[in-house]
Amino acid sequence: MSKSSPRRSFGRKSTGTVTVIEAKVHRSSARNARMAFILSAVVIGVLATVVATSYVHPIIALFIGAAIGVPCGALAWLLVRIWPVLRLLWWWTPEIVLTVLSLTAWVQLANHTPTIVTLAVVAIVLGVPAAIPAVRRQVVAWVWCLIVRHRLRVCFAQFIVANQSGSLPLILWAKPTPVGERVWVYLRPGLSLADLEGRLDKIAVTCHASSVLVERASDGNAAYLRFDIKRREVLTATVTSPLADVVTSDIPATDRPTPVVPTALDLPDVQAPTVTLPVQQPKKPATTSANGSKPTAAQSTDADDVSDWI
Amino acid sequence: MTTATAPTAGIPVGPGLSMFDPIFLGIDEFGQPVYITLAYRNLLAGGEPGGGKSGLLNTIAAHAALSADCRLVLLDGKLVELGQWEDCADAFIGPDITAALDVLRRLQQVMNNRYAWLRAHGRRKVTALDGLSVITVLVDEIAFYSATIGGKQEQEEFVALLRDLVARGRAAGIPVVAATQRPSFDIIPTSLRDLFGYRAAFRCTTPNSSNIVLGHGCAEQGYSATDIAPTNQGAAYLIAEGGIPRRIKVAYLTDSQIAGIADYAAWTRRPSRLSAPTGSRLDWEIAA
Ligand SMILES: Nc1ncnc2c1ncn2[C@@H]1O[C@H](COP(=O)(O)OP(=O)(O)OP(=O)(O)O)[C@@H](O)[C@H]1O
Ligand SMILES: [Mg+2]
Repeated sequence: MSKSSPRRSFGRKSTGTVTVIEAKVHRSSARNARMAFILSAVVIGVLATVVATSYVHPIIALFIGAAIGVPCGALAWLLVRIWPVLRLLWWWTPEIVLTVLSLTAWVQLANHTPTIVTLAVVAIVLGVPAAIPAVRRQVVAWVWCLIVRHRLRVCFAQFIVANQSGSLPLILWAKPTPVGERVWVYLRPGLSLADLEGRLDKIAVTCHASSVLVERASDGNAAYLRFDIKRREVLTATVTSPLADVVTSDIPATDRPTPVVPTALDLPDVQAPTVTLPVQQPKKPATTSANGSKPTAAQSTDADDVSDWI
Repeated sequence: MTTATAPTAGIPVGPGLSMFDPIFLGIDEFGQPVYITLAYRNLLAGGEPGGGKSGLLNTIAAHAALSADCRLVLLDGKLVELGQWEDCADAFIGPDITAALDVLRRLQQVMNNRYAWLRAHGRRKVTALDGLSVITVLVDEIAFYSATIGGKQEQEEFVALLRDLVARGRAAGIPVVAATQRPSFDIIPTSLRDLFGYRAAFRCTTPNSSNIVLGHGCAEQGYSATDIAPTNQGAAYLIAEGGIPRRIKVAYLTDSQIAGIADYAAWTRRPSRLSAPTGSRLDWEIAA
């Protein structure tokens, strides 16, 4: 297969089997595994030989070195070959751990208690969080954190072209925010913040979110990024200032002199001549009979659209 | 001025805030709190009528009023927007340009004295440890003073004085927070507008107006205050420490909350307490 062969078509929905290793990755993985075998076999073998020479005859030491180096190399080879599988397991660690834990708990419970008690315990464990809104929201938020890490990985694997070897960014931890989730990501060579900024709309679609923002999480390292996934809008809420709560309510009220309550609050109450104009109205004789502050205000709005800018 | 009948149980304690502390403004689009430090900065808020500019000014005024090391100078052409803080303020100017010019001239003098004082001490800016008060100048609706009332000459003098405060007041601890519906050059000279370091753009009707507040080219980069829904008052784009516009929602104080804070602040600022702070060497007195 040539270098530009479509790696996508290789292992996805062609047959019923799930291929976890893509074509290009597969090739480089085989090469890497060979390199790993040779390197570790030689290095460990030589080291073992050197150590062994101080105890036994050099020829025997050579054999001992080979006997230690080759199995170690094989181990390295195996690790590199199954690395994609390990990676897959690593990606799903939280889910695997959770499933194993809950299954174990279920089995233990079922074995040690009568059915009624088992069902009651399950009902309480599931029902109480579901019934209390605050807990339910928290649980849902955590579930979204799990989901969104996979969705982000899908983005990287599917449409964000990475590097030659097909390594994906490290998707670190995620935490819920009031509007969605925040995920920290460590980029591998081949990607940059600017690459991602152009694709935020697609990432949002993949994450089932309304919008996604990405920014640097560290000033010193451009590879360390933070994704903000937004599903809800908080800016429409009314925010209150905490200052209102820190003051005690039993303050001695300030003694204010009762102000003169102005009168003439309606149009008929105000006769034209009673309006005193500001004396400094330089050159507007025509409008001076109206309202003192109007002319200049009108003037400024007129000028607005003509000249927006300097 | 304050009453003598302080309750025996539960006398309110003095405020622990300082103008050098970060001021809580509201939340950002991720629900995280947004703070700005105003002591060395000037803030310009722009946006259409009813956008929430006065709400922002009141939130800042609340922090300033509760800060023991802060004096407030309020200029409010509408009287009601900042009127509740009158008792905490050293000067409260209504629709009166002569009074506004007077207080700005006094501020200019204070600023000059402070710079002379700093120079005498071989320093370059006022810090929290100096014991000097931060004189926060809040101007609601600049356009009212710079383009509406008074004669041409007074308006020009107002702009010149305000520009001087904005330009030089920073390091002397005289930050200016100003609000205006539209900071285009016919209302506020560009030379004044461009000096404000922090910008808050509330809802604007055109991308152009948003650009005038936030800076040239922001709308093209996707930061346009026209996106804000007209019903979502108090939402704004803020350019502060980070340099890039952030969407925020400004915290809103109701009239009764403001009254509560203002009463408290006025009580803690009663003349016997603040009459002789260290800053008084600059002969800044309680305004008449
Ligand atoms: N942060 C906020 N949260 C919720 N509601 C707000 C907020 N800010 C303002 N509002 C609502 O919007 C109304 C108008 O706000 P505000 O008086 O601050 O507008 P403005 O920009 O000062 O208008 P103008 O330019 O006419 O002075 C307020 O009465 C209040 O009901
Ligand atoms: Mg207002």
